[in-house]
Amino acid sequence: MSGSLLLARRNLAGNRVRFLVSVGGVALALSLTLALDAIYAGVANQMTTYVDRSGADVWVAQAGVRNLHMVASSLPDSVTDEVRVVSGVAAVTPILEATDTIAAGDERAVAYVIGLPADAAMGGPWNVVEGSDRVGPGETIVDRGFARKARVTLGDRVTLLGGEATIVGLSEGTASLLNSVAFVSLDDFRMMRGGARAISFVLVKVVPGAVGEAVAGEIGRTVPGVTAQTSAEFASQERRLVMDMSADVISIMNAIGFVVGLAVVALTVYVATLARRREFGVLKALGARNVVLYRVVLVQAVLSIAAGLLVALAFTGLLALVVPRLGLNLELSIGAASLAKVGLFAAVIAGLAAILPIRQVAGVDPAVVFKTGAAA
Amino acid sequence: MTALTLDVRDVTKRFGAGETAVQAVRGVSLAVASGEVVLIMGPSGSGKTTLLSMMGALLKPTDGSIHLDGTAISELSESRLSDIRLRQFGFIFQDFNLLSALSVLENVAIVAELAGHKGRAARANATTLLTELGLGDRLDFLPEKLSGGEKQRVAIARALINDPTLILADEPTANLDSKIGHEIMRLLRAIAKDQGRSVVIVSHDQRIRDIADRVLWLEDGAFKDFVTMATDPVCGMSVERERAVSADRDGETFFFCSRGCREEFLGRLRSDGRGDGRGLPALIRATTAALSRHSSRGSSHHEGAK
Repeated sequence: MSGSLLLARRNLAGNRVRFLVSVGGVALALSLTLALDAIYAGVANQMTTYVDRSGADVWVAQAGVRNLHMVASSLPDSVTDEVRVVSGVAAVTPILEATDTIAAGDERAVAYVIGLPADAAMGGPWNVVEGSDRVGPGETIVDRGFARKARVTLGDRVTLLGGEATIVGLSEGTASLLNSVAFVSLDDFRMMRGGARAISFVLVKVVPGAVGEAVAGEIGRTVPGVTAQTSAEFASQERRLVMDMSADVISIMNAIGFVVGLAVVALTVYVATLARRREFGVLKALGARNVVLYRVVLVQAVLSIAAGLLVALAFTGLLALVVPRLGLNLELSIGAASLAKVGLFAAVIAGLAAILPIRQVAGVDPAVVFKTGAAA
Repeated sequence: MTALTLDVRDVTKRFGAGETAVQAVRGVSLAVASGEVVLIMGPSGSGKTTLLSMMGALLKPTDGSIHLDGTAISELSESRLSDIRLRQFGFIFQDFNLLSALSVLENVAIVAELAGHKGRAARANATTLLTELGLGDRLDFLPEKLSGGEKQRVAIARALINDPTLILADEPTANLDSKIGHEIMRLLRAIAKDQGRSVVIVSHDQRIRDIADRVLWLEDGAFKDFVTMATDPVCGMSVERERAVSADRDGETFFFCSRGCREEFLGRLRSDGRGDGRGLPALIRATTAALSRHSSRGSSHHEGAK
């Protein structure tokens, strides 16, 4: 094996430009797949940040509602008290939620607007960096990123839910690529939406020692017209929705990345093999079996792919570090599944890329050694 | 009696079929003994390379058989032949055919590794062999940094690394200058005589006849009566002595492509006022003198050892 490895390494290193083009092409192709996966995973993570940081163990929604994004949940006010008395429930917080546009001056942004009761134990902002973490009548807490873009600060007014509110707090970690979270009082929310005595969700804290799934199951059985899920299930549904919405885009980009990577490596290994066709003939004449030569070609493909994969990982890792610092509200999350997928891609590309050159080597006539031509 | 190494029996090689078929080698037989140096000469297109390819198990004969130490190698599968090429044959080529990406040492060691030697042992053997061939200070050089003679010595080391029975050399001195060519020739003879290996050389180089035990003439795919070539001292053309027009002067025979050249030659001598040939240019004298040592020996297929 060492001879094959040595020859493969030297063949690749013999033409550095070709090798770098190959590695660059593979890195680009795999980065495309890896970065896109990371962006979507990051967006999915951001989309569930509110659910994850709400402090609730169980989310109670209108029957059939299993996530926050692109759905509306409406429950009678009375559900809060019905849930409160279920066995295993320690505390409840009713919230109102709507996806709306928040505006200040010329700046407009989509936001989850959350209506919070004055005594909310859950569901409020978790990282207020300026001002108050409680909202009263006519007040709002908005994301600092939005405030910066809109050039507003504490005491300024913004428009949301068809009315106006004064900024009393600025939070961090409440913005994603798609939207941010703004908080108003429950009463203001109701008033702005016509005053109906309804709520969107009931957030539940379970008693110490109780299991979230069990409590959610009990709520589902005893309170009619609701769907109760643990926060983890609720967030998982949210992530799945985002990934389902982006599945086609990801599949297309994966396919493009795969084809580009395959084309680049196949072409490079093929050209490298073609350039050394005579030398493969020499090795055959000297007694090397075909399998040894196939191994040289395969190792060349694998080395190109491995180097490209490493560069792609480094590049995507660097992106994941740099992008959040650019104020883009974008998070790149490189998951194990994504790494496994790209690794599998790379292995398949290496295998496929070697097929054509291997056929080329199989067809080399060892008697080529007796033909005069350029040789070392 | 000397042990037989290679036995080529009535071998024919045809390329193509039907009316377009070309018979490159026709019913050739040849036996090569251990330690023997056989030189095969002949004009371009005479079938020398095809015959060498068949002897080296790179090409299967259409008819006839080839035996190496008693084994009919012409009947073996490609996988068995690979093994035989690796362990029994050593190849030396006109273009050296070194692997350009590998160093001198690696070029030799990789062939040992192919034969199953471990990396360290293969490198140690290769180092010893290359040092014996005077390349000890060139081990890490790439082939492109070597002279022609050095490249050919690397190729010889590569041919010897697996201790082969038979060395097959295709025009081994063609790309080398006269001095280096002689050096390579001496080396090939030493390989045969000191190590007992058989050496078969295909070449146009007349100088190699000096080291050959037998010289064979291949023409139109078959061994023919040996034809000795000479250079016309007037026009410089190569001519077959047996068919050429000749002139004798003071015990030396000169060969010409035509009567015209002979008349011009004789005319020059007369105009010099000397009929002894001393007026000939030194180069012509040297050439003819060298050639005159290889006089034709009747109609036998080969010349005997010098």
